[in-house]
Amino acid sequence: MSERGYDFTLQELMAVAASREIHDKEKVIVGTGLPLLGSMLAMRTHAPNMIAIYESGTIEAKPSITPFSVADSCLVPGAAMQGGLVEGLGIVHAGELDVGFLGGAQVDKFGNLNAHVIGDYYNPTVRFAGSGGSNDIGCGCKRTIVMMLHQKRRFVENVDFLTTPGYLTGGDAREKMGYPGNGPAVVVSTLGILRFHPVTKEMYLESYHPGVTVKMIIENTSWNLKINDDVKETEHPTVEEIRILREELDPTGIFLNKQ
Amino acid sequence: MESSKIMTAKEAVSKFIKDGMTVFVGGFFHAISYTITHEIIRQNKRNLTICQSSFNEHADQMIGAGCIDRIISSYVWMEVFGPLYCFRRAMEKSIPHKIEMEDYSNFAMTVRFLAGALGIPYLPLNSLKGSDMMTHSQWMGENKVKLIEDPFGSGISHAVVPALKPEIGYFHAQRADEEGNVQMWGILGDAPWSVRACDKVIVSVEEIVSREVIGRDPNRTILPAYKVAAVVKEPFGAHPKNTQGYYNVDRDFIFDYIKMSKKEETWKEFMEEWVYSVSDRTEYMNKYIKKFGFRKFMDLKAENMQSGSVSYGY
Repeated sequence: MSERGYDFTLQELMAVAASREIHDKEKVIVGTGLPLLGSMLAMRTHAPNMIAIYESGTIEAKPSITPFSVADSCLVPGAAMQGGLVEGLGIVHAGELDVGFLGGAQVDKFGNLNAHVIGDYYNPTVRFAGSGGSNDIGCGCKRTIVMMLHQKRRFVENVDFLTTPGYLTGGDAREKMGYPGNGPAVVVSTLGILRFHPVTKEMYLESYHPGVTVKMIIENTSWNLKINDDVKETEHPTVEEIRILREELDPTGIFLNKQ
Repeated sequence: MESSKIMTAKEAVSKFIKDGMTVFVGGFFHAISYTITHEIIRQNKRNLTICQSSFNEHADQMIGAGCIDRIISSYVWMEVFGPLYCFRRAMEKSIPHKIEMEDYSNFAMTVRFLAGALGIPYLPLNSLKGSDMMTHSQWMGENKVKLIEDPFGSGISHAVVPALKPEIGYFHAQRADEEGNVQMWGILGDAPWSVRACDKVIVSVEEIVSREVIGRDPNRTILPAYKVAAVVKEPFGAHPKNTQGYYNVDRDFIFDYIKMSKKEETWKEFMEEWVYSVSDRTEYMNKYIKKFGFRKFMDLKAENMQSGSVSYGY
């Protein structure tokens, strides 16, 4: 029982929400942490034929334990193919993958992400990792799932640095750029699930997590967030999903206990 | 053997890595040559520009030690292990001195090496355009990346990135022969293109094998000997990273590094213990076994999972 009075934690809920975004037989570029757990959970529930691809060049990974890194040695034995970045990230770049996961320090209402700096690029208050494969995944995957801590300083009107394009300035701005991929489909935040309007491409709130209110989400978003007319509570994880996460995928709690 | 390029890490770094050079640093999370990295730090190399698709703690250690002025990469961090604090201190507070970074995406870096390896001046790609990496440059200015319209009439513009051809590179692999025919398997990262883009390469390997062993499975060779300047035999040369088939990642050691590097003082203690006070890799591993025990050391060793063999007969 978590401190919030539910039989699951917020992190577990987010991993489950991510898993439900993946359909069977899809080709998914899997990161580390929650996206990895979400993808592995999908493979053990409704998407057994999902193909897990790692940017480090592993195609159809079938690890017997949960990998800790995109270059974990356990990814290699049993894979259908092992190459390098040209093979792993190259097919992302070519537009052949269905789903990619993204995160970052900031997101704006059109799903543009910042993974570089807080403050001025040339004189940063905080410097982060940089793009890594984020920009390539955001440009190349047919759709992306963004996972974010939902805080006012992270859900911002304008990102301090645009690392990975979402819908740029909204409307058809992204389409005009001619990327192989179509952009972010969903944002799974620590407070709720948000999607993008089909025409304006502006982010709106679809559901709030158990124990969270719409008001809390509005207060933790810097712009005037649009709320779906039939906004509802995020669907709870099933007992079985939680069991798989805890007992099979993260038995030592290395991913899910870190708050 | 007359054509042998075998030498120690100390000799290889002293002979081939000079202050001010542009150095490719191989390994994508997997198979990073810590043995060469630590030797660069011990020999106090200065004003280096380092390049690699994505960097981990090895870059952080060189930054903290003051070896680095410039970085060309997409990433300096350690995934879910955490941030790299020397990198942050240098970028945010110019400690120990100001460093600059030219930011690309992971695939853009890979494409820069690919162009370098193929001997063409630039290549287009689908990524980067629309991002602030197109408009923000530290020292390359207009030559960092350009947007060009497809000359074949698709109506789409693409980012084009210049070839990257480092003067020298180093990386870690499973095995090589004395002349430097290198075989690698598992996660290749930006190899083979990155190492082929370099003018010259230092390779550290787990094992030296005969030319005959290389010839029995030539598809596994990722770099031919003519590109290789030095071969350094260094078992556990990638620790605390993994080398497929030999040993696993030492997670505890990496977590400990990140914890110790939060403050400059404790970072210095770590570096004194594991870099400055040891003269070579043998001493490093002996120290490791003495401190953590032989059992822990053996736990890192990889299980034997042999591949099947194929026939090259004709």
